[in-house]
Amino acid sequence: MAIPMSADRTQRRSWRPPTISRSMLLSTLTVAVLLAAWAIVTEMGWANELFLPKPQAVWAAFVKTMTKGYQGATLLQHLGASLYRILVAFALACLIGIPLGVVMGVSKNARALLNPLIEFYRPLPPLGLYTLLVMWLGIGESSKLSLLFLAGLPGVVISTIQAVTSVDPVYVRAAQSLGANRRHLLFHVYLPAAGPLILAGMRISLGFTYTVLVAAEIVAASAGIGWMIWDAAKFLLSDVVIMGLIVLGLTGVVLDLMMRSIAKLLMPWSRT
Amino acid sequence: MMKKLATLALAAFAFTAPARAEDKPAKVTVGYLNLVNAQLVTKHLGLLAKEMPGVDIKYVKVGGGGDMLRAIAGNDVDFGGLGNPPTAIGATRALPIKGILVINLLDYVESLVVRTDKNISSLKDLKGKTVAAPFGSTTHYLLLQALKDEGVDPASMKIIDLAPSDIAAAWLRGDIDAAWFWEPNLDKAVKNGGKILITSGEMTKRGYPTWDIGVVMNAFAEKYPSYVEKFIKAECEGIDFWLKNPEKTAEIIAEELSLPLPDATRMMKGTGMVPCNKQLTEEYLGTTAKKGKFVDTLVSTADFLAKQERLPKLLPRADFEAFIQPAYLEKVVGR
Repeated sequence: MAIPMSADRTQRRSWRPPTISRSMLLSTLTVAVLLAAWAIVTEMGWANELFLPKPQAVWAAFVKTMTKGYQGATLLQHLGASLYRILVAFALACLIGIPLGVVMGVSKNARALLNPLIEFYRPLPPLGLYTLLVMWLGIGESSKLSLLFLAGLPGVVISTIQAVTSVDPVYVRAAQSLGANRRHLLFHVYLPAAGPLILAGMRISLGFTYTVLVAAEIVAASAGIGWMIWDAAKFLLSDVVIMGLIVLGLTGVVLDLMMRSIAKLLMPWSRT
Repeated sequence: MMKKLATLALAAFAFTAPARAEDKPAKVTVGYLNLVNAQLVTKHLGLLAKEMPGVDIKYVKVGGGGDMLRAIAGNDVDFGGLGNPPTAIGATRALPIKGILVINLLDYVESLVVRTDKNISSLKDLKGKTVAAPFGSTTHYLLLQALKDEGVDPASMKIIDLAPSDIAAAWLRGDIDAAWFWEPNLDKAVKNGGKILITSGEMTKRGYPTWDIGVVMNAFAEKYPSYVEKFIKAECEGIDFWLKNPEKTAEIIAEELSLPLPDATRMMKGTGMVPCNKQLTEEYLGTTAKKGKFVDTLVSTADFLAKQERLPKLLPRADFEAFIQPAYLEKVVGR
């Protein structure tokens, strides 16, 4: 039994490059089918162009926004404004969320103290929170950043708690028996072992931050991809709306890929 | 979906029933704006139901012009109401609607309010200040037109996009120095350190009228032309009631919009209502033979939006003339 299995395994390993390109092929196929369906539906006039413009129209909107801009800012400026908000808020969520999660994961008392807060606000709809944030912090950048931060925080905290509590106690006892103190435990046992799970939480949390971007930019923004989408929707400019959504989606994918490659560099043992 | 089923059922009925001059709609959906106008009176007194016995009448409150455009594009209403900027957008984007009735003119229910402690006595003093308006609305349009007329560069101030309720909150916090928006939130700004610099009514005198127009879906109008007349007749009765019974009207509005009576009275006075027989004059819709000034307003609004790149192009005047259809109203008032 063991021999065929290992043979199978070596065989699979030698076939690895083709399987990767095959999955890439399949992914490309999905995109191609979607684009083709979009082109056919619009070319045949099956869809109202007001709702679903032709791919060419969306491309034209992209080129125009890149070169001439939309309402006083080019696409890159809109993107820059949004990415700045997302990255600052996300960085804050990680800087505060990970230590908080570690503390809550290691100490039962800390968990009992802080859990009510996190569990209470986590399921609140972001727009409901936002009206309050605007009243408290005003219509400037701080209310937008806070909303994005609050959207990102629970994902990081909860996954960090889970990551830390699921560290195999054998590792901890082994390190303690070798004379490790609390600091050693934290930096050499807990964090490395919990790293991959924390990273998974960070990726989910970045996604949450993304989902509230349009909501955050509805109030008193004059630049940002979310604001551009919102503004264009008011004037039935669906080509700009769809273009904005595609740009938002693609930057999300790129950011996620970047996080994964950073993780691979920092934690070669992680399998994400 | 229900609407589709209803049309299907109607179509089936049309096949089996002996041919008649005109079918009766099973259901009529009226989308009305969250505004102070006589449509609330018509609704409250059930005037439409009296005109259309046996028809299921549904009223849907729509938040603003943008939502109304979406409702029209999605075929969710039979009748609707639109301000002139959304109307210009809808006509340019070839939405299947026609303008049939003036539902209200905007006077001082909409105003530019400025902070009294900021020494703003003219539009020029807005330089370097933060000014809010709901983008895409009549007031956003008037703000930019007023600045243009006085030769003030909009880029010299910070103009931000805020919904009326958010403007009120931002005003109370002191985040903004001026805002052009409407009641009932306008009053909160005036009572908290604000004074009115320009009203939308003054802009009408300068040649920039703002109004809301009643629209009907083309498909409905083709199928049930006499029901379009019935709709107009009911709305005209509402307008007459408004003009003849201001006190009773204020009570109705206070109840419909859950407002205190003094607020409702003030907002009523700040809204212009045009009796139906006057709507066919040069000043408003005009006649089928010669369309009135509403066409001019639509053309200049569309031109403005096109220059702002919020419309892809400016349509020829004929398209806006075709949008205004006084024919139904002409039949109702007997011309």
